[in-house]
Amino acid sequence: MNNCKFNIDFIKNRKIYFTISIILMVFCILSSFIFGAKLDIQFKGGTLITYLYDGDIDLNTFQNDASAALEGIGVKATTGTDFTTGKNNIQLSMLSNSGLTADKQMVLTTTLEEKYAANNLELVESTDVSPSAGKEFFSKCIVAASFAALVLIIYIALRFKNIGGWIAGVCAIAALIHDIIVVYGTFIVCGMEIDANFMAVVLTIFGYSINSTIVIYDRIRENNKLYGKKYSLAELTNMSVNQSMTRSINTNVTTISAMIVISIVAVVYGVTSIISFAFPMTMGLLSGAYTSTCIAGPLWVWLEEKKSGKGKPAAPEKSAEA
Amino acid sequence: MVKKVKRVKKPVFFVVFLLIMTFAASVLFGFSSFYGDIETVYVKGVDDIRFGIDIKGGVDVTFTPPEGYDATDEQLDSAKEVIVQRMINLSITDYEAYIDYSNDRIIVRFPWKEGEAEFDPEAAVKELGETAQLTFREGIELDAMNQPTGVTATNIILEGKDVAEAYAAYDQTASAGSQWLVALNLTDEGAQKFADATAKLYAEGGVISIWMDDTCISYPRVSAVITDGKATISGNFDAESSKKLADQINSGALPFKLVTASFSTISPSLGLGALEAMVIAGIIAFIIIALFIIFMYRLPGFVAVIALIGQVAGTLAFVSGYFGFNASGILTIPGIAGIILAVGMGVDANVITSERIKEELNNGKTLDGALISGYQRAFSAILDGNLTMILVAIILMGAFGTPDSIFSKMLHFVFFMFGPSTAGTIYSFGFTLLTGTVLNLFFGVFCSRLMLMSLSGFKALRNPKLYGGAKK
Repeated sequence: MNNCKFNIDFIKNRKIYFTISIILMVFCILSSFIFGAKLDIQFKGGTLITYLYDGDIDLNTFQNDASAALEGIGVKATTGTDFTTGKNNIQLSMLSNSGLTADKQMVLTTTLEEKYAANNLELVESTDVSPSAGKEFFSKCIVAASFAALVLIIYIALRFKNIGGWIAGVCAIAALIHDIIVVYGTFIVCGMEIDANFMAVVLTIFGYSINSTIVIYDRIRENNKLYGKKYSLAELTNMSVNQSMTRSINTNVTTISAMIVISIVAVVYGVTSIISFAFPMTMGLLSGAYTSTCIAGPLWVWLEEKKSGKGKPAAPEKSAEA
Repeated sequence: MVKKVKRVKKPVFFVVFLLIMTFAASVLFGFSSFYGDIETVYVKGVDDIRFGIDIKGGVDVTFTPPEGYDATDEQLDSAKEVIVQRMINLSITDYEAYIDYSNDRIIVRFPWKEGEAEFDPEAAVKELGETAQLTFREGIELDAMNQPTGVTATNIILEGKDVAEAYAAYDQTASAGSQWLVALNLTDEGAQKFADATAKLYAEGGVISIWMDDTCISYPRVSAVITDGKATISGNFDAESSKKLADQINSGALPFKLVTASFSTISPSLGLGALEAMVIAGIIAFIIIALFIIFMYRLPGFVAVIALIGQVAGTLAFVSGYFGFNASGILTIPGIAGIILAVGMGVDANVITSERIKEELNNGKTLDGALISGYQRAFSAILDGNLTMILVAIILMGAFGTPDSIFSKMLHFVFFMFGPSTAGTIYSFGFTLLTGTVLNLFFGVFCSRLMLMSLSGFKALRNPKLYGGAKK
C-alpha cells in the first residue's frame, strides 16, 4: 500500500502532538502577560523628540547614544531635512509605556547636546502623540480575520465534502490559529514591537498555513477516491501525510532558507528591523509545517472518531466527484 | 486514467521562454527615451515603483490650528479623519497620522522620494490643510472684499454636513451645452432645509450662492422648488476640478484652518539602507531557491525557475504600474510579504507537480503518462491552495481598501459598521498576493506545463532520470 520513503504513524502519536501544541499555546499566551506586549507607536502612541543639527551624524550611533542616556529605553531614530529652512533634523520616537519621564527627557537632551556639541545639536520640540491606528482599526482587523476564517471553512467544506468537509475546515482553522499564536509568541518573547512587520508576518503565515493544510487534505481526498473502501480515515490520513512529506520538506526548506538569507543580509547591512520580519516568519513557517503534518490531519481524525462514537471512523463514502 | 497523449510541439518551449524573458527584462528596465535631459517614460520599470515610508522614507508635516485657537480633542480627531480621507483621495494610501492633544498638533507622514516627478508633496500638503467649508447661502450680497455680508452672511441654508454624498457628473442636457458639475445627494435634514429655502426663494425670485471657504463658486437663480434632496453645483468645472470638489465635500470640512508648523523629509522607518538590503536579500534568496529546485527536480526544476521569473516579473509589473490600466500602488513591507507568499505558493506549485511526476514515474508509468497524470493530479491541490489565497486577498482588499473600490463595495455587508478607514499597508499585501497568485496559476501551472511538455518531445530529454525517475 505504501511504497513511500516515510512511514510515520501520525495518528498513533497524536496525543504527543496535541500535548506539545497545548503547552506551546499556553506558553505563548502566558508570555504576553509575563513579558508584556510592546505595541508600536502607531498602535500605542508615544513621544517624538526633534533636534536640529549641522554636519553629519551617524543615525545608528545616535540612536544607541540616546538609548544609553535613557538607561535602555528603546528609541527609534529617523532623519530628515526641513523643506523651508533646509536644516537637518533628527527625530527620536519612544513608546508611551516605556517609562519616559520629563526628568529623563531633560537628561537625554543634556547628554546628547554635550556629546554632539560639534553638530550644534538643538532641541526643537517634544510631542506626545496618540496612536495613529486606534481601536476601530483593531476591531476591523478582527472582523476581517473572522470573516476570512468563515469563508475558508465554507470553502473547505464544499471542496472536501466527500470526506466530511466541515470538520476538516474547522481543523484547518485550528492549525492556522496555532501558527499565528506561535508568531505572536515569537514577537513577545523576543521583545519585538507589534508593528507593521507583525501584520505582514501574520498575514503571510495565514496564507502558508492554510495552503499546507489544503495540500494534505487534497491527498486524503485523492486517496479516499482510490482506496476509500479499503482503509479507515485514520489509515488514509497517515498514508497521505507520509506521501506529502517530501513536498512539505522541500517547500519549507526553500522558503525558510529565503528567510535566513534575508536575516543575514539585514545584519550585514545593519538594518536590524528587518529581522523582526524574517525571524518570526521562520518560526511561523516551522509551526505551519508542523501543524499541517502533525495537527490538522490527526485532529480531524480524532474529531471524526468522536462524532461517530469511536469504533470505525465515519467511513467516507466512495466519492462521486469527477 | 491516461488519456491519449497530446504532444506539445517542440518550438513551444522556446516561444514561451523568450516571451517570459523579454517580459521580465522590460519590467526590470522599463522603456524610456531621453530627449536632452527630459526623460519620457513609455513603460514604467522597477525604478518607478513607489515605496512606503517604512522602506524609502517620505515627508513629515506638523499641522497646528491658527495662533490663539484652542482646539478641543473632538475637533482634533475630526480634523485627523478629514486629513486621512483627503490623503486617500490623493492616492496616498500609506500614511501615519498622529495627534498631540496637549499641544494641539497633528503630525502626518506619507511616502515621497526626492525627485519624484508625478507627485508634488508641497501641493499635497497645501491641499490637506484647506478648510473646505461648503456653504449654500441666501442671496449674493457682497462687501468690498467680495465676502458675504447682510443676509448672505447670516442665512446659511446648507453646510457640508447636510450632504450625504457628492460626486462629479457630466451633464449633457444643459441648455448652455454639456458641462461638468458636482451633484449632491442631501441628507433628510438637508433635503428638508433645502426644500423650505427653495420654496421661499422661488416665490421671491431670489438666488442661492454656493461657497467653498471664502470663494463663491456660483449663484444660480432658484427656478424650482427642490424637494427630492438633490442639488447640483455648476461653475467652470472640468473632469478633474469637479472630482476634486466632490472629494473635498465627501471628506468633510476641517473644524479649523490648519497651519503648517513644520514640513520636512523623513528617513525610512525601517532604517537607512532598508531598500538596498531587501533587494540584495531578494536576489540572493531567489538564486538559492532556483539552485535548490534545479538540483532537486532537474528538468522540471529548470522549467519551474523560468515560470517563477515570469511570476515575479508579473507581480512587479502590476506594482510599478507597467500596465497602463492600473495605477501604481505604494509598496510597503506587508506588500513585499505578499510577494514572498505568492512566490512561495509558486515554488510550492512546482514542487507539488515535480514530486507527483517523480512518483508516477516510480510507479512504472511511461514518461508521457507520468507527465500528464502528474500535472493532472497536482492541479487540484494547487487550485485549492491558490483559490483560498485569492479569497483571503479579496477580503483584505475589501476591508482595508478605499471605500469606492470594487471589493469594498462587494464586502460592504461585512464591514458596514466601520467608517471608511483605509489601511494602505494591509491593502498592499492583499494586492500583491492577489496578483501574485493569479500569475502563479498562469505561469506556474499553464506556462510551466507547456514548456515541460514541449521539452519532453526532444529525444535527448526523454531520459526519465531527468525528471527524477529511477534509472531505466
